[in-house]
Amino acid sequence: MPDTASSSDGTPGAEDRPADVGIVVATDLCRRFGEGEAAVDALTGVSVSFDRGRFSSIMGPSGSGKSTLMHILAGLDRPTSGSVEIDGVEITGLDDRELTSLRRERLGFIFQFFNLLPVLSAEENIVLPLSIAGEQPDRDWLERLIDTVGLSDRRSHRPSELSGGQQQRVAVARALVSKPAVVFADEPTGNLDSKASNDVLALLRGAVDEFGQTVIMVTHDPEAAAHADRMLALRDGSIVHDAAPGSAEQVIEHMKQLA
Amino acid sequence: MPRLAAKNLWARKGRALTTTLAVFIGVALVAGTYVLTDTINAAFDEIFSESLKGTDVVITAREPVKQDSGVPQTFSAELLPKVSKVRGVSLAAGAIFTPGGFFKQNGDRIGSQFSPKFIASTLPPRLESLTVTEGHEPRNPRQATLDQAGADSAGLEIGDPVRIAGERRARTYRLVGLTELGNASFGGASIAQLTLPESQRVTDNQGRFDQISVAAAKGAQAAPLAKRIAAIAPSDVRVETGQQNADRQSSEIRDNLKFLQIALLVFAGVALFVGAFLIFNTFSITVAQRVREFAMLRTLGASRGQILGSVIAEAALIGLVGSLLGLLGGIAFAKGIQALFKAIGIDLPSTSPVIETRTVIVSLAIGLIVTLVSSLAPAWRSTRVPPLAALREGELAEARRHGLLFALGAVAVSLIGLGALLAGLFANIDDSGQAAGLMGLGAVLILLGVSLFSPRLVRPLASVTGIPLEKLRGLTGRLARENSQRRPGRTAATAAALMIGLALVTFVTIFAAGLKGSIASAVDRNFQGELVIQNTDGFSPIPSAAATAARMVRGVGTVSTLRSTQAVIEGIGKNKVSGLEPATANRVLTLDWKQGLPATLRDLTDGEAILDDAFASDHGLEVGDRVRMGTNTGDQPSFRVAGTVGDDADLFGSVIVTQASMKRDFGITQDQADLIKLAPDAAADAVQSRLKAALRNAFPTADVLNQAELKSNQEGQVDKLLGLIYALLSLAVIVSLFGIANTLALSIHERTRELGMLRAIGMSRRQVRRMIRYEAVITAMIGAVLGLILGMIFAALISRPLADEGFTLSYPIGTLIAIMVLAALAGVLVAIGPARRASRLDVLEALAYE
Repeated sequence: MPDTASSSDGTPGAEDRPADVGIVVATDLCRRFGEGEAAVDALTGVSVSFDRGRFSSIMGPSGSGKSTLMHILAGLDRPTSGSVEIDGVEITGLDDRELTSLRRERLGFIFQFFNLLPVLSAEENIVLPLSIAGEQPDRDWLERLIDTVGLSDRRSHRPSELSGGQQQRVAVARALVSKPAVVFADEPTGNLDSKASNDVLALLRGAVDEFGQTVIMVTHDPEAAAHADRMLALRDGSIVHDAAPGSAEQVIEHMKQLA
Repeated sequence: MPRLAAKNLWARKGRALTTTLAVFIGVALVAGTYVLTDTINAAFDEIFSESLKGTDVVITAREPVKQDSGVPQTFSAELLPKVSKVRGVSLAAGAIFTPGGFFKQNGDRIGSQFSPKFIASTLPPRLESLTVTEGHEPRNPRQATLDQAGADSAGLEIGDPVRIAGERRARTYRLVGLTELGNASFGGASIAQLTLPESQRVTDNQGRFDQISVAAAKGAQAAPLAKRIAAIAPSDVRVETGQQNADRQSSEIRDNLKFLQIALLVFAGVALFVGAFLIFNTFSITVAQRVREFAMLRTLGASRGQILGSVIAEAALIGLVGSLLGLLGGIAFAKGIQALFKAIGIDLPSTSPVIETRTVIVSLAIGLIVTLVSSLAPAWRSTRVPPLAALREGELAEARRHGLLFALGAVAVSLIGLGALLAGLFANIDDSGQAAGLMGLGAVLILLGVSLFSPRLVRPLASVTGIPLEKLRGLTGRLARENSQRRPGRTAATAAALMIGLALVTFVTIFAAGLKGSIASAVDRNFQGELVIQNTDGFSPIPSAAATAARMVRGVGTVSTLRSTQAVIEGIGKNKVSGLEPATANRVLTLDWKQGLPATLRDLTDGEAILDDAFASDHGLEVGDRVRMGTNTGDQPSFRVAGTVGDDADLFGSVIVTQASMKRDFGITQDQADLIKLAPDAAADAVQSRLKAALRNAFPTADVLNQAELKSNQEGQVDKLLGLIYALLSLAVIVSLFGIANTLALSIHERTRELGMLRAIGMSRRQVRRMIRYEAVITAMIGAVLGLILGMIFAALISRPLADEGFTLSYPIGTLIAIMVLAALAGVLVAIGPARRASRLDVLEALAYE
């Protein structure tokens, strides 16, 4: 596994930090929803570290807390207790403004429902994070991205003129365009057929291998998990499995055991 | 299903609230109009019946031609002893009740500017309707009473001096009593009482009365008594029972208020029209958003009728609640409108609010009908939802694209409207009410047609108005523009509502500017004289002695008087007639001669008249023809047409006669204005101050104006009226702004997930707010641009016929720009709420939102 592919040129966010410290480090995360008897503990003391330039997947049955974990790691939700560090920055204490700029500058997102703006073209959707920041895209990087996701001839199309797979590829490019420290992907293949799923997963794999991108993906698709370097499995709010995923069949086997 | 409708409303409180508010405002204006006019009528009824308490028969002068000035005709006092001798008369007394002016010792006017002040004589106690609340009635020529409200408003107390001006020089009286007329309120009007001889003297009516009040002897009936008196009375008086007299006055007031009522109802109609857009739009959007819900109900077995019923029931509930609130609000609105009138100097009498059954029925019916009609199309669309839609994923109910046929239909509606408007303007329809109705219908159809066509205009207009924002603000501006173009129909309907209000605002703004410009240029062209004396209220006559006094002032060269009256021109109808002094008029006036020369005026004899050129050609009158007029004296003098003049600003009405004829044939002795030409080398400023000083004490109702002041005075009147119209139109504009907020809120609701994504990938709350604000600004600007264009077209068209009369259209660019800027700011303002809500969305919830 090319976990040492990170070099100062290709890897966004690689500062003068020792490579052995994870780029995303969660310590003792607890998350409780509701109060009193109706309270539900979605996370019960999760500590985990994600290495720079690796592709990790988080699996688990519905209600296992996998989505909650990702939301907290990405600064979209706050833990009841515990802390999250992204690229050396403690994020649990940040206010909305700081979290917003962290998301804008250091994080990339891929969603299950693509979530593109229907009024913008494919290319405009890709550069959206930069537009929001009021920045101009690095043309070379943008061309390379568009080329990589295979949308060179579709760049001026609007999302409604694209297939689901193409839309998700736009979303992948959008997540990568600002060279974020981490890309969070929430069920990125959940709404795609197997061919399109494979395309998207190959893209994510390539981003890790070629650009040294760090990717954290929540999925319940064993096929998707098999593309990752590492597979975490959650159950009832804690990590019950943490290893290389192996093949899709092996992943299914693991999950069966957990269930 | 009704229960479901109620629950749906409750679940969408915000939307229900704005929709209800739209109904509320329109209905409140309707109800308010009725309550206001009914209340004013009731107040006058109270005044009339109170003032005739104890009076069984009333004798007044006949008015062959009802005059606008309000100065009553008088008749000879010799009638009184004859009346007293009629069988069944217990007591008869003559009285004076004539407009005048009241002032404090320092010259300040008592009472509001445009409200009438009456000089009244005292009557014997049995016939006297005013009751003294403090002090006593005037007992000698130096004493006066004042109505309590008038005295209070001026801060006067018993013992204070008060100056009263009639036709004669003003005199100082001692205030010896305060009076009231039962519980009736006069509004801003005021009554000062003097002894009978003094009131006759100060109004220059010695030996004359304008009323004889008669009390019947015990057992004598009013009606037969009136008949017996009429038998001995001359033909120039009218004998009525007290009841008949009160009824006649009431019905005259009602007729006068009819115009106000119609005018206010027009504004109510505008607000309702705009409200209909809001209701239509809101229901369209919510029906679209609830497609899945309807489909689900259909899969559960609900029939189309039930779905339709639930939406209609929702509309009915909103209509009913809005109308009921509007009805209640109408009472407050009535007070508000009255306060508005008061603010521009028209202080109408009032009493406790009168709510007629008609007001209740009309208000509720209108509110309900408007709501139901506006929601009909969306409700019908809800029944077209197939059950399968419940199972479909993704974006639902793609806005139906209207075809070319629809656009052509919209154009056709506009053209029919234009046709009606032009017909109303140019087709020479004799009934001015019918012509106005046709023009109104035309305007409504044009507005409707443009509204229906406007979805096609949204894209280009949003691009035009959005480009500056995009250039300035980049992404947020871009997204705002794109979002406003997403559902052109929705944006169009929202903007169209604002368009209607702003089209009317623009129209009256341009029209008023043209009016002011025309007045100013008419003054410039016609008035040679440097100074003008006229009544402080701008329309009442002034004592003729003022001209005499003015002639004595050093530096005054020529004083030439202008009188005016109304007369019924044979075969034509009531028209304004002016009197000039042939010997001097050419020194102070430059007439726009069409046929004739200044010498025509100089040599004008008492049997000759000069006609307004437009009037003459309208009625086929030429120089040498004869014109017969019925005047207020009851005479029917005939005049030979000696010449014609153009009279752009209707300074002289239709006919000009000599001053001598004015007095002899028309019975007019008071001047409308005194036009002054300075002596050579005299300085206008100095002469003006000397004139003011000379008139201040003796003739406080007379004001000396130079040309600039005359113009600004007239412009001030136009501005006041304009202010009133703005205030009434603002309600329609406010409704349309609610519409923007509503559409925005509903659209944001639809775009929740998108907003969640934008926030997730790093858009700040501020950027979200900005984006939504700009969307509102773009919508508002679309409405403003369309409204401005339509308003300008209306102004250009409607002023066409007036162009012959010298009306020059001018576009007050500054004001029009201000309207645009205000519209944009209003967009920002109404977006505050929706923008704030959008920026506060929880990112995770928004992302999970479907």
